[in-house]
Amino acid sequence: MFVFFVVFLLVPVLGTFWWSTRSGGLLGATTNVGLQNYTKFPQQVDATTAVKNTLYFALMSVPLTIVLGVLLALLLAKVGRGGGIYRFLIYFPTLVPGVVAGLIWLFLTNPDFGLFNNILRAVGAQPITWLGINSALRTLAAVDVWRNAGYWAIFFVAALIGLPKELYQAAALDGAGAFARFWHLTLPLLRRILLFALVVSTIWGLQVFDTALIMTAGGPGFATTTIVYRVWQYVFAYPDEIGLAAAMSSMLVVAILILTLVQLRALRGKRGLD
Amino acid sequence: MGSEGWISVATIEQVERRSSAPRGAAGTILAREARRERRRRRLGSLGRHAALALATLVFVVPFYYVILSSVKNNNQIFSYPPKLLPFPTYWGNFTQLLFHTQFLRWMLNTLIVAGSVAALKVVMDSMAGYALAKLQITGNKIIFVLMLILLMVPLSALIVPLWTLIRMLGLLNTYWALILPALANPLGVFLMRQFILGLPSDLMNAARLDGLSEFTIYRRVVLPLIKPGLVVLAVIIFTDQYISFIWPLIATTSNNMELLTVGVANLHARGGVNFGLWSASAVMSLVPIAIVFFALQRQFLSRSLAGALKQ
Repeated sequence: MFVFFVVFLLVPVLGTFWWSTRSGGLLGATTNVGLQNYTKFPQQVDATTAVKNTLYFALMSVPLTIVLGVLLALLLAKVGRGGGIYRFLIYFPTLVPGVVAGLIWLFLTNPDFGLFNNILRAVGAQPITWLGINSALRTLAAVDVWRNAGYWAIFFVAALIGLPKELYQAAALDGAGAFARFWHLTLPLLRRILLFALVVSTIWGLQVFDTALIMTAGGPGFATTTIVYRVWQYVFAYPDEIGLAAAMSSMLVVAILILTLVQLRALRGKRGLD
Repeated sequence: MGSEGWISVATIEQVERRSSAPRGAAGTILAREARRERRRRRLGSLGRHAALALATLVFVVPFYYVILSSVKNNNQIFSYPPKLLPFPTYWGNFTQLLFHTQFLRWMLNTLIVAGSVAALKVVMDSMAGYALAKLQITGNKIIFVLMLILLMVPLSALIVPLWTLIRMLGLLNTYWALILPALANPLGVFLMRQFILGLPSDLMNAARLDGLSEFTIYRRVVLPLIKPGLVVLAVIIFTDQYISFIWPLIATTSNNMELLTVGVANLHARGGVNFGLWSASAVMSLVPIAIVFFALQRQFLSRSLAGALKQ
């Protein structure tokens, strides 16, 4: 295990940083260019667009996913009989590969026969272009919410069940309503759990790729070209941008490392849920 | 949870009040209050079920819509208004998918790779977890911290060095290219370490006094005790492999080595517009994972909890 960890994780991480100082193509010879890939990065519009797109994507999908996850968990935690079937169905989208999720959503968002526009037509509204230049990134974020909300819902259910009941009894005796109990008890008690969920789903959000490839192929234009998508293109579609690809990957790695540290700090001293 | 506790308090309160209350008018008021309370609770439960049913519907409808499309031919897909029931059923998309593409080969590849990774990881991670949890080995702490730091780094951020490494090893376009990098993920080691930390050390010390080797202790004492954890771990790893995409995409170059996700993506990219075939491929791709999920629901649902067990 440790050998695999070193060879296929530790070394590649260091390798990414090494490659980010090189220039050339995947198969040809490369030369050391120092930090040039980083210094020319801000001028590289196709690269900065990808970073911006990815951040917008995460900003849209992550908060929605978490809020929806909490709401579903609040409902699920209180349902006794029949809860299993809800859990099963709400959780199932999290097992769908991104490629397949993208395909499924192509059938929802198709302008001609997609479910969404059919619903709009049925109520007499104008059909919408769901994967247009302004809407595509939002639609991809929606796919992500659909895929991940169930995961966090189940996660939060376990956290809710673990909360001390006595506090709620005391609060109820003091006349606190359902919303007050949620706002003043549940949320503060779940603070660490929520932070954990926020960080982890941000890390996932930064890696968005599959759905963008299937649904929009990075477009229209560059509207849904994300970091990983751009890196993949730099490596396999350009003859000599491998250094730039590695520099971009390095930034992603650093961002993820920082987020990991935040998460570890959040969990330190607490043993999570168990 | 909160409301259940609250309910029990309310009942106690009522019982107390009732016992001290004089019979007659006050008693009927209390009875009425209790009735109202019960009704309110039932309404609340009904409301929750309604809200959940609605939410569940939203989660499920996309599947239903794509299933509907998969049993239509390419003209019917475009017709408006769309039919809401899958009858009459057109099977052409599925026969084309199963017999005129390499779909079944891709599925086999995915099952082979995901199965081997899960099997290998369960063995390796439980051993490594045991070593980290219970053995005094120099360097344990450094390895642990390193793993913790790199826990969340995904393969998608490492494609340049990984691809060159696998190419150097001459393994591109083999099962090994798909299996080996997946073995590096440290999550399972943490889960196993956490599980094993919870076992009493006396048990292992006693076995040691009996002269058993560390490996025998691992196999005979530790493994049986962590069996439930092993199943959860296998489920986590299998699923992660099942849905993995970018690494399999770049590590395979020939059609018959592709995994399910890659094959389906290429079907979409290469074959020209064929909505019927695409929907059939989406539906068929979900069949194996749905079966496994149905069989191991409990373990899958604890997949969500694994994250919290990490520290």
